[in-house]
Amino acid sequence: MGQGKSQFTEEELQDYEDLTYFTKKEVLYAHQKFKALAPEKVGHNKNAKLPMAKVLQYPELRVNPFRDRICKVFSSSNDGDCTFEDFLDMMSVFSENAPKAVKAEHAFRIFDFDGDDMIGVSDLREVIERLCGSELKLSDSEIQQLVQSVLEEADLDDDGALSFAEFEHIIDKSSDFCHSFRIRL
Amino acid sequence: MSGGNSKNKARSKRHEGWEEAGGEFYQELYPGGEQELFENLQRADAAKLATLLPSKQARNTTTVKRVRSQNERRQSTYARTTQSRDIHLSMLPDLSENLSNEERTWEEIMQIKAMPVPMNQKRDIKARLQNATKLRLQGLEQLQWRQRKVWHRFSIRFTEIVGKLELWQSSLREIEGKFGTGVVSYFLFLRWLLFLNFAISSFVIVFLILPTVLLVEVEYECDDYAENSTICCSQAYLRRNLTEFNVVLSFIQGTGWMERTILFYGVYSDQLYTYFIKSLWDTEIFYNMPLSYILVPISWALFSLIAIVKTAAKGFKERLVESEGQFYMYCNLVFGGWDFCIQNDKSAKIKHKALYNEIKGCLEEERFKEEKQLRTRESQILMHLKRLLVHILVFAILIASGILIYVIFNYSMDKLNEEQNTHINNDFVNVTEKSPLRQYNETSYSFGQLQNTLLEFLPFITIVVLNIIVPEIFSYMIKFETYMPANTILISLLRTVLLRLSSLAVLLSQIYIQITDPDRIKCASFYEEFRLECWETYVGQQLYKLILTDFALQIVMTFIINLPRAFIARHTHSRCLKVIGTQDFYLPKHVLDIVYIQTIIWMGSFFCPFLPIIGTIFCFLIFYIKKFTCLTNCTPSPIVYKASKSKSLFMSVLLLGFVISIIPVAYSVAEITPSWNCGPFRGFDTVWEYVVETFDGFPYFVREIVFLLGTSTFAVPAFAVLLFFLYYYWAVAAANRHMVEVLKNQLVLEGHDKQFLLNRLSAFIRQHQKRCERRNRASFADDNSSVQHSSR
Repeated sequence: MGQGKSQFTEEELQDYEDLTYFTKKEVLYAHQKFKALAPEKVGHNKNAKLPMAKVLQYPELRVNPFRDRICKVFSSSNDGDCTFEDFLDMMSVFSENAPKAVKAEHAFRIFDFDGDDMIGVSDLREVIERLCGSELKLSDSEIQQLVQSVLEEADLDDDGALSFAEFEHIIDKSSDFCHSFRIRL
Repeated sequence: MSGGNSKNKARSKRHEGWEEAGGEFYQELYPGGEQELFENLQRADAAKLATLLPSKQARNTTTVKRVRSQNERRQSTYARTTQSRDIHLSMLPDLSENLSNEERTWEEIMQIKAMPVPMNQKRDIKARLQNATKLRLQGLEQLQWRQRKVWHRFSIRFTEIVGKLELWQSSLREIEGKFGTGVVSYFLFLRWLLFLNFAISSFVIVFLILPTVLLVEVEYECDDYAENSTICCSQAYLRRNLTEFNVVLSFIQGTGWMERTILFYGVYSDQLYTYFIKSLWDTEIFYNMPLSYILVPISWALFSLIAIVKTAAKGFKERLVESEGQFYMYCNLVFGGWDFCIQNDKSAKIKHKALYNEIKGCLEEERFKEEKQLRTRESQILMHLKRLLVHILVFAILIASGILIYVIFNYSMDKLNEEQNTHINNDFVNVTEKSPLRQYNETSYSFGQLQNTLLEFLPFITIVVLNIIVPEIFSYMIKFETYMPANTILISLLRTVLLRLSSLAVLLSQIYIQITDPDRIKCASFYEEFRLECWETYVGQQLYKLILTDFALQIVMTFIINLPRAFIARHTHSRCLKVIGTQDFYLPKHVLDIVYIQTIIWMGSFFCPFLPIIGTIFCFLIFYIKKFTCLTNCTPSPIVYKASKSKSLFMSVLLLGFVISIIPVAYSVAEITPSWNCGPFRGFDTVWEYVVETFDGFPYFVREIVFLLGTSTFAVPAFAVLLFFLYYYWAVAAANRHMVEVLKNQLVLEGHDKQFLLNRLSAFIRQHQKRCERRNRASFADDNSSVQHSSR
């Protein structure tokens, strides 16, 4: 971690420590990981903006079915390109110390593909299709049935879509979510 | 919180802000805004009206609000800005409007991290908060705040250090990346067991082993006492010359020189160690060895029970919250299905497949339930018959394996007894006439030793081999019974548990029969050796051997059998070989492996105090063995293991193992006469008698209290009060459940109301727009006509 230190001032590190769920050392470690994605670019400018394709080379993101959504949600320019600070935000939310509510907030945005602030039927279909991967396809009626079951379970006010409150309610009751919605640094 | 003045000011300041945000903000706090609201509504697309609802607006506050309700108004205002990310910072309400003190500012800075905004905005907010004028805390408050800050920093440091020391962190990460959270929870369970064993070992080391090693026993001479007294008998047992045995063989059998070490029950003293301290006015210090020997097992048993129950209760609570019926099964599957920690292409593929299967399974289950009602009578009867048949078969296999163990145990015992007799005769011959035959005898002797060892281990090898083979048969048979997937795991697990426990039960009952044999010679003599001179040690030896065998077979299975299989699977293309070679990480089996070892440890720790220490070492090694199995030999399982579900499964199996292992020990403590020759309880009828006797020596006051607790005057009211509490909590729970139902219904109604109102509102707006247009058109026509008029 020695050579990473030179790129940040003490003040910046303090800021990062205060504003994320990481300690200073973890911030430096995160930067190392970020740097490994594009060594020459980040070595030049510690906060360089990496295109989405580069960020997606991060091992956990590479295989994640929601990778592009994750990048878009965390990118400050909203197009999926991430600076180090965006990356740090991302890792902070996915870290072990982040509370469930924060994770739920971001998960909701990740799953909200069309950005209408509701997880509707089309969003659910997209999530299910991505979960099953590109090789295995569920039939249309099966997806329909599954979406219906999900809505039956969680759509409390019966409006055909999941609002954030409803989504958070599910997450509150799911003990597995916190384990699975996590990327170790 | 703030006066009316500042509110007004703030409002005028915010005024531009609200408008800029595309009319996305309105609230009742804002009485002058009705006009604006209407305009906004007009501007907004009717379909998007829902996003203007206050409940939607407020959703981002939930993240922050939960943390603390203090300062709520202010927080909700800036949290709300997160709604659309493009809002400029100028939009943020002026945070310095009411002066806050340093502590609150600091608290707020700590809360920023929960806000879903990009880093540069967070930093700006922080800077704003820091630069705002704030009151300095005075005196004691200042001190307290300082303390809090230091404590906060310290706790961060501390967790960092603890995190670094955390055992097997990188291994866990690696497993998690490949196999997901369900399998990691197994390894966490293994680590938990390691710590449990470590705690038990430290009890044993501090209170049993160290005193025995450090304190000096007073030696009595046998001559002064009667021939059959405990002192003479134990001297005969402990001082007799040991028959020469191979060092290694006695190490693995726990016999010979090992028998006389502090490994086993036998050598622990029955004395009160007294110790004089000269400097402290010749005070005497006592250490009551027998008492500590009984109290230590009781305390570690209680400790393990509490540990298990506590961990299980946590899982149980989670399950209870989740349960409300299997309510959110589909939601969990969809939203919590993917393990974000997976980082490996192959496992990602398998995870996709597993999720696909799970979804299919769920849907099928639904269909299954429907079909169940539709199923014809014949097919139902056929299915039940099939199940019955399999149950009978399983039962038969269980009994057969029990009988097999019984027969083999008896066979090896008989052989060993025979051997011993001839051996003693041989010795006798050797002593009387030193014949040239001796040379020959030596070689046959060592061969006999090996044979003996094999015979000694035969029952245990049988048990362990059965434990490996029979579950495979079970898992093959269960395919014929069409159970639901979740039940399949449970039933095969239950059967395997039954197998393991029944084999243990047969072993113990055999030992029990031998111990309670009335012909058994109670008092050892200097010249002859008997079996079971010290039966507790004997039991300890048996369990020691069992645990060694089990561990050895684990190693053999992993490295000698499964490793080549995995190698074959990886480097062959032939279908047939692949079937032999591929193994997936079948979680229940591995759970049973370690729970079984733990059961043996609990069972044997009274008779062999070193067993927890051995267990700790084994757990440590087993972690690496299982990791090797997991990472090298196996492919990820096509079954989805949910972390929370499997955790509660582990704990319930462990609890079962605990109860099963404690029962025989408790029985032996309460009922069976301890050996005369050895151990801390020589000369007593039962171990418990010693406890009662010691209790009689307690002060009158203490005894009275304990007796009072036992009488009906105390017990009946206590019982009544407990019942009363139980009823009370049950009633509260029932009321709450009812309340939840009512609220849920209300929520649905509200939802409908909302829909209704929105429809009405949009209809109204459309109407209004139309009217406006018409009016415009009319005025335009008017204009036109007036223009025409004037032009004319």
